Amino acid sequence: MHLTDEQLNEYLDHEINHPAQLEIHLASCADCAARLAARQALFDEIESLPEITLSHNLAAPVTRRLSGRASLPRSLRLVVILQFTAAIVVLVFSAPFVVQFLSSSVASLQAPSLASVLLQVQAQWTAWLDMLSQLRLPNIPEIPVFELSSLFLMLAVIGASVLWLIGNGLLLRDQIK
Amino acid sequence: MSVPSDRDLIQRARRGDTEAFGELVTRYQTSVFNVCYRILYERAEAEDMAQESFIRAHERLPTFDDQYPFGPWIRRVAANVCLNHLASRKTTAEFDEERDADASPMPETVQETRERSQQVRNALASLPAHYRIVIELRHYQEMSYDEIAAELNIPLSDVKSHLFRARKLLAEKLHAPD
Repeated sequence: MHLTDEQLNEYLDHEINHPAQLEIHLASCADCAARLAARQALFDEIESLPEITLSHNLAAPVTRRLSGRASLPRSLRLVVILQFTAAIVVLVFSAPFVVQFLSSSVASLQAPSLASVLLQVQAQWTAWLDMLSQLRLPNIPEIPVFELSSLFLMLAVIGASVLWLIGNGLLLRDQIK
Repeated sequence: MSVPSDRDLIQRARRGDTEAFGELVTRYQTSVFNVCYRILYERAEAEDMAQESFIRAHERLPTFDDQYPFGPWIRRVAANVCLNHLASRKTTAEFDEERDADASPMPETVQETRERSQQVRNALASLPAHYRIVIELRHYQEMSYDEIAAELNIPLSDVKSHLFRARKLLAEKLHAPD
């Protein structure tokens, strides 16, 4: 009985677990040995294909692309600066209220219900906006004092968030691709 | 001054030295391009994908274990890039006839060898893309059946049947009378 083409393939691919038996058959069967030789010749032809030369060096375009990624374009740098400024402003305005909220929350740690937590958050939010609207900068008379309404503050927070999202979207655009 | 080893260049590239990575590109661009070319069989496309392979390799450099040689790893990255490209393209590329064109006179044996190489290339180019990929991974990247199955995310039986059919088609094309 002759060896199958699959067996010959697997033998040449070194995928046979016990090749000794197969080799005994090949040594005594001229037909299978000839088929193996023809197959080996095909493999040799495939593997000895000469390499093709490139028409130009790829190092320059690749390093150019990598350098382009390393330094941010001017527009993107502006977004980063704006983002940083907006984050500082939001942080300065919110810090006292966050501290107040946390201290009152820690003082009354008794596993409140979800409804009461939501009510408390809403109350804090309203109080925070009211306090912000009454904020004055009395020690710096040169700077005009703004009348900060709740709507204005909400828009400012939303604006900062949108800016943050756009900035990060631009920074991560290559990774997203 | 001694020539820096691949390992030195990889470590410098990891620290942000783009020129060191450029040197790696120069060293491996031909083999990477040939991987892409054997899968895509279109010169311009293969050059684009070779570039893309190096960019992808640069991104993945932190995950590369530099105890192993860089060549097989970058060629595997290239095969993956081409595989993804083929999946997005989903068309059969026309064989690039200009690739080895050389009109200069040459000895008869050299001419015959070139003609035979051309025939082998034509036969490989005529295979469906999924057959070309298993031929590339098995014959040029010397991967085992299990490794190919893992790389392509297909069953082991598919690897065997793809290889079997691809080789059968090649044999038929190469041994068919002119």
